[in-house]
Amino acid sequence: MRPDDRKYLSSHEWIKIDGDIGTIGITDFAVQELCSGNESDLVYCDLPEAGRSVEAGETFGEIESVKAVADLNAPLGGEVIEVNAAIEDHLEILADDPWERGWLIKIKLSAKTSDALLDAAAYEEVVAQEA
Amino acid sequence: MTEWRRIETFGAPPGFNMGLDEALLLDEAAPPTLRLYSWEPDTLSLGYFQRFVDVPGTSQAGAVVRRLTGGGAIHHTDELTFSLTTNASDPVYRGPVADSYARVHAAIAQALLEFGATAELVGEVPLASDGEGTGMCFHKSTPLDLAWGGRKGVGSAQRRTRGRVLHHGSIKLGTSALEGAIATLGSSAGRPLDPAEVGDALVRALSEQFGLRFTPAAPTAAERRAAEALGPRYQDPAFLHRR
Repeated sequence: MRPDDRKYLSSHEWIKIDGDIGTIGITDFAVQELCSGNESDLVYCDLPEAGRSVEAGETFGEIESVKAVADLNAPLGGEVIEVNAAIEDHLEILADDPWERGWLIKIKLSAKTSDALLDAAAYEEVVAQEA
Repeated sequence: MTEWRRIETFGAPPGFNMGLDEALLLDEAAPPTLRLYSWEPDTLSLGYFQRFVDVPGTSQAGAVVRRLTGGGAIHHTDELTFSLTTNASDPVYRGPVADSYARVHAAIAQALLEFGATAELVGEVPLASDGEGTGMCFHKSTPLDLAWGGRKGVGSAQRRTRGRVLHHGSIKLGTSALEGAIATLGSSAGRPLDPAEVGDALVRALSEQFGLRFTPAAPTAAERRAAEALGPRYQDPAFLHRR
């Protein structure tokens, strides 16, 4: 079971809400899909700069593995207030710990909910269908 | 049998080629589609994340675009270019990226056999076509690439966006000055090859490998309009030099 202290998108991003701050990352399933356990296959991650506004569902960045480029989508909208600078040079963090150290951006939320958000149980069903 | 469209646009301009692939990727209602195409003029495509300055060959091609897909640069001349666009839940692409490459490359290898090339996945073995400093896709191999005679002869890359997949592929029929020392299908066949006949072989192999039935089609009017609207970005200096 994946962490139930956060919400998910069917496109495999998560958001953990603390007050009016949302921390966003991608799930272990997303990482596994991209690199099949070879963490060195992750080659590039393009993240936004602090200050940029993102809408719920909008693409805020991109991640490249040896063989695929994938979008990173925002579960909720808001202003980017912090970016995990360690990620771009240490993509292996995403494989090692996608839930805590592998967070990508923090946003100041403009809204705290969206119909697209899934709880952990609903996200598990999405993964079961795609695996 | 699953129905796929087969769209042929040989000799198309570079912006249109990239714009149509993006249109097919973004349209969730579009049916699964195989495009077979070539380029006029000859075009160098940069990988999505490549730095422009890392590819010295840009000055030697008839045109330059930046692809939506990653990987290295490709000089699109004397080759069959193809794209596959479908939902990520399609049995062809379901599951890990690496698994989908293995499946699609098995079909491509079957098609190459018709022309005398016995292609295999590279694995961890260095290739004679590997080289430094060109930024070219065919000079850098990964374990999932297809090679024969110790040289890389097929380039491929995927883009995954909102539950959709775009798979770009390039099968080399001959060499170019920018892509020396690579494997070419024309060399294996011992004669010049037309992209269309290699495309026919690819269709046969994909049909057999995945149980697909391909129906010849032209891009719809809406897809053409979308391609014309999306195409110019790919040659826009700001996009080309974004990295």
